Amino acid sequence: MLATGDLRAILQAALQGGGSFAEIFIERRRITSIGCEENKIEQLISGLDQGAGIRVIKGENTAYGYSNDLNRESLLQTAALVGKAVEGQVSVNKEIDFKAPAAKVEFKIKIRPEQVPVEEKVALVQKANNAARAVDQRIAQVTVGYSDVSQQVTIANSDGLLVEDERVRTRLVVSAVAADGDKIQTGYESAGGHLGWELFEDFDPEELARLAARRAVMMLEAKPAPAGKMAVVMAAEAGGTMIHEACGHGLEADLVQKQLSVYAGKKGQQVASELITVVDDATVVGKYGSLRFDDEGVPGQKTVLIEKGILKEYMYDYLTAHKEGRLPTGNGRRQSYQDRPIPRMTNTYIAPGKDDPISILKDTKEGLLVKRMGGGQVNTTNGDFVFDVAEGYLIQEGKIGPAVRGATLTGNGPKVLKIIDRVGSDLGFALGVCGKDGQGVPVGDAQPTIRIPELVVGGILDREAGA
Amino acid sequence: MDYGKLEKHYLDLAERVCTQAAQKGVAAEAFINASEELAIEVRNQEVEVLTTARDQGLGLRIISDNRVGFAFTTSFSHAALEACIDQAVANARLTTADEHNCLPARYPGYRQLDLFDSQITTASLEEKIELVKEIERQARAYDPRIKITESCSYSDSRYVVALANSLGVEAAYHGAYCGASTFVVAVEDGESQAGFGLTYGLKYGDIDAGKIGREGAGKAVRMLGAKKVATQRAAVVFEPYIATNFLGVIAPALTAEAVQKGKSLFRGKVGQQVAAPIISIVDDGYRPDGIASSPFDGEGVPSQYTMPVEQGVLKCYLHNTYTAARDGVKSTGNGSRGSFKTTPAVGTTNFYIEAGSLTPEAIIEEIPKGLYVTEVMGMHTANPISGDSSVGASGIWIENGELTTPVRGVAIAGNIIDLLETIDAVGTDLTFFGGTGAPTLRVASMTISG
Repeated sequence: MLATGDLRAILQAALQGGGSFAEIFIERRRITSIGCEENKIEQLISGLDQGAGIRVIKGENTAYGYSNDLNRESLLQTAALVGKAVEGQVSVNKEIDFKAPAAKVEFKIKIRPEQVPVEEKVALVQKANNAARAVDQRIAQVTVGYSDVSQQVTIANSDGLLVEDERVRTRLVVSAVAADGDKIQTGYESAGGHLGWELFEDFDPEELARLAARRAVMMLEAKPAPAGKMAVVMAAEAGGTMIHEACGHGLEADLVQKQLSVYAGKKGQQVASELITVVDDATVVGKYGSLRFDDEGVPGQKTVLIEKGILKEYMYDYLTAHKEGRLPTGNGRRQSYQDRPIPRMTNTYIAPGKDDPISILKDTKEGLLVKRMGGGQVNTTNGDFVFDVAEGYLIQEGKIGPAVRGATLTGNGPKVLKIIDRVGSDLGFALGVCGKDGQGVPVGDAQPTIRIPELVVGGILDREAGA
Repeated sequence: MDYGKLEKHYLDLAERVCTQAAQKGVAAEAFINASEELAIEVRNQEVEVLTTARDQGLGLRIISDNRVGFAFTTSFSHAALEACIDQAVANARLTTADEHNCLPARYPGYRQLDLFDSQITTASLEEKIELVKEIERQARAYDPRIKITESCSYSDSRYVVALANSLGVEAAYHGAYCGASTFVVAVEDGESQAGFGLTYGLKYGDIDAGKIGREGAGKAVRMLGAKKVATQRAAVVFEPYIATNFLGVIAPALTAEAVQKGKSLFRGKVGQQVAAPIISIVDDGYRPDGIASSPFDGEGVPSQYTMPVEQGVLKCYLHNTYTAARDGVKSTGNGSRGSFKTTPAVGTTNFYIEAGSLTPEAIIEEIPKGLYVTEVMGMHTANPISGDSSVGASGIWIENGELTTPVRGVAIAGNIIDLLETIDAVGTDLTFFGGTGAPTLRVASMTISG
């Protein structure tokens, strides 16, 4: 490990080219991953990925460099190289006194991944595999993936911040394929968090596997989704892809400052129905997007983005906050030492409302019930978004009707948020890996049961065309 | 930098790790990838971000009693390499034995490919910065409504690959690629629309700043004033870029890995018509100027030209060493490694739909009413196993053979197999986006949900 004096010397070397801010992010990431398919433990991978990224900022210009080489001499060299890449006047030596900020929350890892024998991890994967296969004889294939990551980071900058932190994340994913004649369908479930092996105290891996398998089997009998406009009820357990896409990305300060977001310049304005409060919260214990410190060393925090429909706040990293002369919101994140931090979500959710979730369905004569969302995407420039329905049903006379497959919901973020007319008192969390500018970071999202009176469902129009 | 010397340095290291692992009584394969990267991002004629990087890693695969173990490290210290070997060997004790797990034997030689354009290293940083600034100027000059630059960038990568296994494979090569792109936004009457232009390839001289800038601007401007359309069935034309998106969904299904695991929509269909007769799909590991070209794949098997779909008929699947051993055939050189961090899977190289005989104009000319699709969203949610896909789309409405008004917020849905079978026109304009290429494609009738 590098001593505090080494970090100081590296940052000072980085500032020699005239930069106004320098930062070093050192990372040691150890992973274990297990892959099971065809009833076989196909993959068991261990890895060590270590490296350091050095960033120098001068005005609006950023220079970034990274290397796997963590010795002092090599880092000093990288620092000098990166420092030269920003144009500026040569500065005097800057005194740097390091201080560690206090985290707003502590995450206690009960059972560290390296304390669990690999045999036990393999056994858990096999149990999940067997459980999924036992659901139905039409289950043709089951893929189970387990992974644990422990990421140790040291973050130091020329403003005197010094943070050492460790993030431990554990995840289990199950994907089942059901086949019947020529028909083939899939079901997917995942569980994970900023947790160690204790993840499986809350999530029964076998139950998770059975859920995935049952969904695959059920989709075999599902009819193609109808096409056109209809009311959509999204159950709490559907996940939070919609809020992540329809609104979250557009509230990231980099997109806002570049005028690339439909929410730019709308702080204080009504941007959603009064029923809608949107929160980004890194401090929820154990969720996939939870953080003690972000990747710039800023304590993770809870930020109310939209309150009763009024836009209150954007999500900031150091650079975007600095541009506005304000403090960051702890949303500066990066995939690894190879990437510079940018504003990203942590755990984003629509806060629960007052309606009984069952009554929301009952009060909807016709439409689509989304029980589980798949992936999604947004064009932040115009707010148009799309997401996939992994499990959906027709709503007939306020009751759950037949299952449908292949549906995609398309809408415009700001418009949808304004017309949501029912918000339930429940809340369901989901996890995912969010991609932006080529960087993937773990996130959580959640929502209560909600109703959107009208959304475009992409399905198949002619019944005879459905295969 | 002397890349010949670097090749030797890394090959020696790979061989050393391999020999050391083999001493534990296992078959071993060490794969090293080392690269240097440069990325320049410009906005409003200022360099906003400049990234320079060095990166290296070693992935070690061992096979012991037909079981595979794998470990990787980015640290090449003696201790880290030793730990990597021990971990790979330990991991093999817990995986399932499979008689088809094997490493390829030594090949007599590999084809010499021209993968390294020295201009990528000789062009100065200033020249590259100027190139990115020119892209932005050209985009802005295209139309006064181009008001925002989301990004304007250049990047290049110079890399060395070294591979050694205990059966005698010892090979290395080096290469480089470069590219530039722009994302700009057109603004009019409070409405914003984004467009992009990009080029990636092996030759620095092929980057045409003007073309990239104008393309991005043109795509943004043409979407201004986009309207919705009613739900209906109509002809759909896919721009080459959109067609490559669909091809990306098809690619995994053509791998023997997916077929053997019962996860391919092409399973059991060799010899059958799976696409319209005007469709041929090619994987070419040697394609000149192909960004995914290499003398050998991630396991040391020579790259090759394969045509999995010929005139609509499924001819074969793509193989790596494992899937080939299992099917009793030869590897097609498609043992691909996303990085040194994973075992070789089956993957495509330069993968494309062959060009057809109609110009894009002629394809549109014949359509009484339809949608020319220029953007899709959510393609990554298409299901490569069932073939079901439903995406958000925008584009330009076609009326009496002419492009008329822009359209957005529609969804198009269908099954990939149905889509392939109903393609009734293929353009002459085969265009590559990275390693995937396609010409303009037309489907006579699809559901458009508005």
